[in-house]
Amino acid sequence: MHIENVSRRRFLKTTAVVGGGVVIGFSLTGCSSPGPLPIELAEGGFVPNAFLQLLPDNTLRFYTPRDEMGQGVTTGLSTLLGEEFDFDPLDMDIRFAGVHEDYNNPGMGVQATGGSNATHAHFDQLRQVGANARALILAAAEHDLAIGQEQMSTDNGEILVGSERYPYGQFVKTAATLTPPTEAPLKAQSAFKYIGRESTRVDALAKSTGTAVFGIDIDLPGMHHAVVKRSPVAGAALQSFDAELVKTMPGVTDVIEIGSGIAVVAERYWQAKVAADALEVSWTSVPLSKVNSKTIRADYEVALTSNEALVPTDEGDVDAQWNSAEHVLEADYWTPFLSHAPLEPMNAVVRIQGNEAEVWSGTQGPVAAQGLVARFSGIDPERVKVHQTYLGGGFGRRGTLTHIIEATQIAVATGKPIHLLWSREDDLKHGLYRPASLMRLKAGVDAEGKILAWDAARAGGNISEDTIKNMMPALFPGLGDGMIDWTVGLAKGALKGWVTDPSSIEGLFEDYDQVHTRIKHTTINHGIPLTFWRSVGHSYTAFAKESMIDELALASGQDPVAFRLNNTQNKPRLQNVIRVAGEALQGMLPKQGHYLGFAAHHSFLTDVAQIAEVSVQAGRIHVHKVLCVVDCGIAVNPDIVRAQMEGAIMFGLTAALHGEHQIQDGEVMESNFDNYPILRMTEAPSVDVVIIPSTDKPTGVGEPGLPPIAPAVANAVYRATGQRLRSLPLRLA
Amino acid sequence: MIEFKLNGETVSTGEDPNTPLLWVIRDTFKLKGSKFGCGAGLCGACTMHVDGVAVRTCILPVMAVADKNVTTIEGLSDTDDLHPLQRAWVAHSVPQCGYCQSGQIMSAAALLDNNPSPSAAEVESALAGNICRCGCYPRIKQAVLAASDAMPQFQNALSTRQEV
Repeated sequence: MHIENVSRRRFLKTTAVVGGGVVIGFSLTGCSSPGPLPIELAEGGFVPNAFLQLLPDNTLRFYTPRDEMGQGVTTGLSTLLGEEFDFDPLDMDIRFAGVHEDYNNPGMGVQATGGSNATHAHFDQLRQVGANARALILAAAEHDLAIGQEQMSTDNGEILVGSERYPYGQFVKTAATLTPPTEAPLKAQSAFKYIGRESTRVDALAKSTGTAVFGIDIDLPGMHHAVVKRSPVAGAALQSFDAELVKTMPGVTDVIEIGSGIAVVAERYWQAKVAADALEVSWTSVPLSKVNSKTIRADYEVALTSNEALVPTDEGDVDAQWNSAEHVLEADYWTPFLSHAPLEPMNAVVRIQGNEAEVWSGTQGPVAAQGLVARFSGIDPERVKVHQTYLGGGFGRRGTLTHIIEATQIAVATGKPIHLLWSREDDLKHGLYRPASLMRLKAGVDAEGKILAWDAARAGGNISEDTIKNMMPALFPGLGDGMIDWTVGLAKGALKGWVTDPSSIEGLFEDYDQVHTRIKHTTINHGIPLTFWRSVGHSYTAFAKESMIDELALASGQDPVAFRLNNTQNKPRLQNVIRVAGEALQGMLPKQGHYLGFAAHHSFLTDVAQIAEVSVQAGRIHVHKVLCVVDCGIAVNPDIVRAQMEGAIMFGLTAALHGEHQIQDGEVMESNFDNYPILRMTEAPSVDVVIIPSTDKPTGVGEPGLPPIAPAVANAVYRATGQRLRSLPLRLA
Repeated sequence: MIEFKLNGETVSTGEDPNTPLLWVIRDTFKLKGSKFGCGAGLCGACTMHVDGVAVRTCILPVMAVADKNVTTIEGLSDTDDLHPLQRAWVAHSVPQCGYCQSGQIMSAAALLDNNPSPSAAEVESALAGNICRCGCYPRIKQAVLAASDAMPQFQNALSTRQEV
């Protein structure tokens, strides 16, 4: 039975028996949350808070508030709760939470997953939830067994009294009558048994047997399949199309115009795909239609010297240092537009029945999914049910949900349950991209190799403008289009005129000790849609910064590790990962013809240093080995920390060695993995990860492994060839 | 009608014979473990076995498998146990997002059927057609090598079972 009809008010006020189950509610934060929890209550199930339901048979359902895109957050968060509740995460029945304020990301204030913040943001919250629930079960056991709590201990879902073991589930009925504690004491780190344990992922089995359910796998009775034909140039409007031919093609039921293009609907996916391919459509010309890769780069060159640049940071007196510096270096660094290319292309299933709607999709923002379905169907958000699935890769791409808008529009227009699927070509050619950047760095060092001044400028697009444009309608589904346009315009104006989007320059200057720092930024957007891409600004700023540091070390006649150690006196945690990696480097004996490159970077509160072992053969760059030292605070699951470092290195290597979109007449030219190659196993280095032991709160893991790899490889390539490559992807002359 | 064996059972379909096998398996026979990644035979997410050979089914017309044996991830292990590859996948926590893993496992299973003790280089070349965007490659390689050690026992169990 569902409990959607039970109001949150009733939840809070009573300890009610509902449908044979016992529910009590309390808000962890003390705030009142509107609306019922989207939890399906089992027979006799006990729901002490939004995150768990305990069944009389001792099944523990954990409602995970963050979205699983491979980063291992499901394992991490269940481990936090399990640690204090004393319940092995591998024994939990884990489900994706529906939409509710209680599932907001404590670090964002909205129900979204990204920014490598989940373990950090939920670290205190979910442990407290677990501790409170455990205290409640112990109190109930004390009542039922008439034994003092001082004689009880717990072990993986059971209360131990002498040699007797009592499953938690035995006490749910009594627990529901008690007042839940809100500040049960938390364990000391030395007592952790699940946090820090070497353990497999909770989703490993489902993902090794083909049983894990992704958005693409949803299959409803009467469901029709939709394919959308979009303009080759972003933002171009429909001019004309001829639906007659394709309407008669096998299986085709509808050919309709929606905001982003023409939707072809058929009984089967393949029928829709064949028909959409046959559809002739013409589009209007827009300013972007005149834009090419070369003109973009040229515009950025001009923008770098623009006197309209914003100066978000200007400390000390940069210009006064150049004369006194022993060495002054200046160089430009270029990084291209990139796709996320998650292996599961964008998709969504939307079903509308009367004044109720449902959406199935793997997203980084379930509340945005709900808002968009509501907005584009006219149905009240509270009547839009979101079914979250696994994400077949996210990397930032699944934070923007235009595919959910499309599926909703098609479902509304056709009255059919709709399964919308993008092709790989749609993904690469009609996506949202990591912005391209041109960065100009100038730095001066003194005779001791101390960095005196750091002067950096970046020209390129801001992701914030598109993010605001995409998120406003999702988060405020009731707001009229005019209001949305006005608000977005206002925000864009603010970004353009007053402030620099922090994500555009993050990582460009913060890591080293220089006193004199100036950052300039010029925003230049040609209309290529932009969004967050794994490690965001750090994905390009680290390349420029760590390449320049390598050049400065060489100019100073210093070892790259010693140079970095010397210039990170005020960044002890970063300095420590550099030191540990530097010590490991002493023991690395690269084969003849192999060269080592070093880089380090701080991002998402985490510090990472990497050494890449590289060779160049017949003009090709081969990366053989990577050593990665990471300090991410307490490693909740060390193996997932290692996996994320490995994965981020591979993701960063695709960008370092292959990734590049070309724009021709406004159109993104790359269409599939033949012309937008992804790193393959034959190119993948072995990776050794060293995790620095820590007592600090956990910090980011999904993204920080990425930024150092491109400069580490570029720095090694310089040693191998004498060529200083300052553009990505790395291409030898 | 096109008839073939799907995971040991005879099935038939009246779908357009040019429809790629992947979509017939997913949409007609509702087996969702095989994935769509590129539609061009470039990523390997759709890999199944056709008469024991690993094939990219997103570009293989269903008519090409008439009277043949098609095996999907759902039919990989004919025993009650998991395939040694699947056990190794879990033990090494190979998957991240997991989307490509059915295809990875099916490519690896075809390799081990023909070459039960592959070298690391042989694993790399057999799996070079399978993209993992999460970059699980080091673990995939380790897991295939670990599973190869368990293959003889698995194959013995299979042949014993078939004799019964």
